[in-house]
Amino acid sequence: MSHTLHRCGKHDDLKNDFVVFCMSAKTVNVKGSGAKMRRFFEILRKYPAVNFGDVKTGSRFNSDWQTIHDGYKDQSVAHYVFSDAAAVGEILKELKQADLGVSVIVSGVFDRVEELCRQAGLKMHTVEYSGGVMGKTERLPEGPVLAITTMCGHGLVSANLVQKMATQVKKGKKSLAEAAADLAKPCMCGIFNVERAERLLMELS
Amino acid sequence: MRIEKDRCVCCGECIAVCPVGAIRLRKKDKATGAKAVAEIERDECVECGACFRYNICPENAIAEEALAWPRILRKAFSDPVYTHEGTDIPGRGTEEMKTNDVTGRFKDGYVGIGLEFGRPGIGTRFREAEKAIKKLVPLGVHLEPNNPLTQLIANPHTGELKPEILDERVLSTIVEAIIPLDKFQQVMAAVREIAAEVDTVFSFDVIGKVAPDGSIPAAQEMQKAGLTPSINGKVNVGLGRPSFPF
Repeated sequence: MSHTLHRCGKHDDLKNDFVVFCMSAKTVNVKGSGAKMRRFFEILRKYPAVNFGDVKTGSRFNSDWQTIHDGYKDQSVAHYVFSDAAAVGEILKELKQADLGVSVIVSGVFDRVEELCRQAGLKMHTVEYSGGVMGKTERLPEGPVLAITTMCGHGLVSANLVQKMATQVKKGKKSLAEAAADLAKPCMCGIFNVERAERLLMELS
Repeated sequence: MRIEKDRCVCCGECIAVCPVGAIRLRKKDKATGAKAVAEIERDECVECGACFRYNICPENAIAEEALAWPRILRKAFSDPVYTHEGTDIPGRGTEEMKTNDVTGRFKDGYVGIGLEFGRPGIGTRFREAEKAIKKLVPLGVHLEPNNPLTQLIANPHTGELKPEILDERVLSTIVEAIIPLDKFQQVMAAVREIAAEVDTVFSFDVIGKVAPDGSIPAAQEMQKAGLTPSINGKVNVGLGRPSFPF
């Protein structure tokens, strides 16, 4: 379930794309963790977010905060997406203070995440790298399309839908914000960054 | 998934939503008089449910259907809302490094690898992932027992999957393993062979614990193998309470 890994793009494009999420370990601390997920979700609500969600109840673009919050159970994974590094830094400080005891993961550009951890008095514990895509890579769509589709790690945002939205923007049928919001809808976890999608759609249209 | 022909008005709105391009328009049949409709190609559909959930059809003609074994695996490995019975986790993988600060699953001296077949956005049949498992098993790699794909292995000595599932198509499926650091180069050679043999794509990932001095041995091994560690990825920030000292 490396759903926040493999987001394609260059450093400049990715440097303000952060997913912060929280998960309990099934064999260790899952019991009672639903309440901790809700607490996590409440803490992060104070900061300006791009998206949020849970795979079972949906995201900002196909559900609402309260429904997602109330739906957290012991096996849930709570997600938030931010474009503001300073906010992520403050969140890490607050989560350290809250001492929920469950795992917190930040996906983003490593050099920035490491610096944010350091500022919060934390050390990176374990990291996961993408080693790239192998095999029949000639079947992959072009750069900006792939950069958009890989923001849903479960692969539910189709390349054809990205092309369709880019065309609708080009023809003036949709604004960039409307097109990006439409692209966010298939992503159930709420990890799709609509602000980044808008920038990439602009490149395509 | 299916499209109810009587309801379909052949507007084509659903076509772009399908992540694997399994929806096509069928022209009007002049001989029989059958009207033009959108159709889901059953063999190509991965049962992810995206077309249904997107609520794109103006006539609500897209419907889910009850799935039997082995087709149910398409849904299990493609629809993240579906929770695997084996792992009790939604999605296709496991907790992997996300809870490593609590579980100590990846320890110093070890590295995790993942080959996610079909990702990004191409899809795969299980037989492609089987090629990788058969290549890795003889190397003595420890396949993650909680991974839902590992649970479909029929022969743990050869890596063969259950034969009836090989042609089932899914959005993606992950071969997950833990290996000693000193085996990484050998495994990477096998991964390159796998890349040359498969009829799809796979996203490759590497997991490593950060050493007390801040170095990351897994990244060093990647570089030795000629792989550039990605500029972005996942960081477990160590806020989980360890279940044992490690």
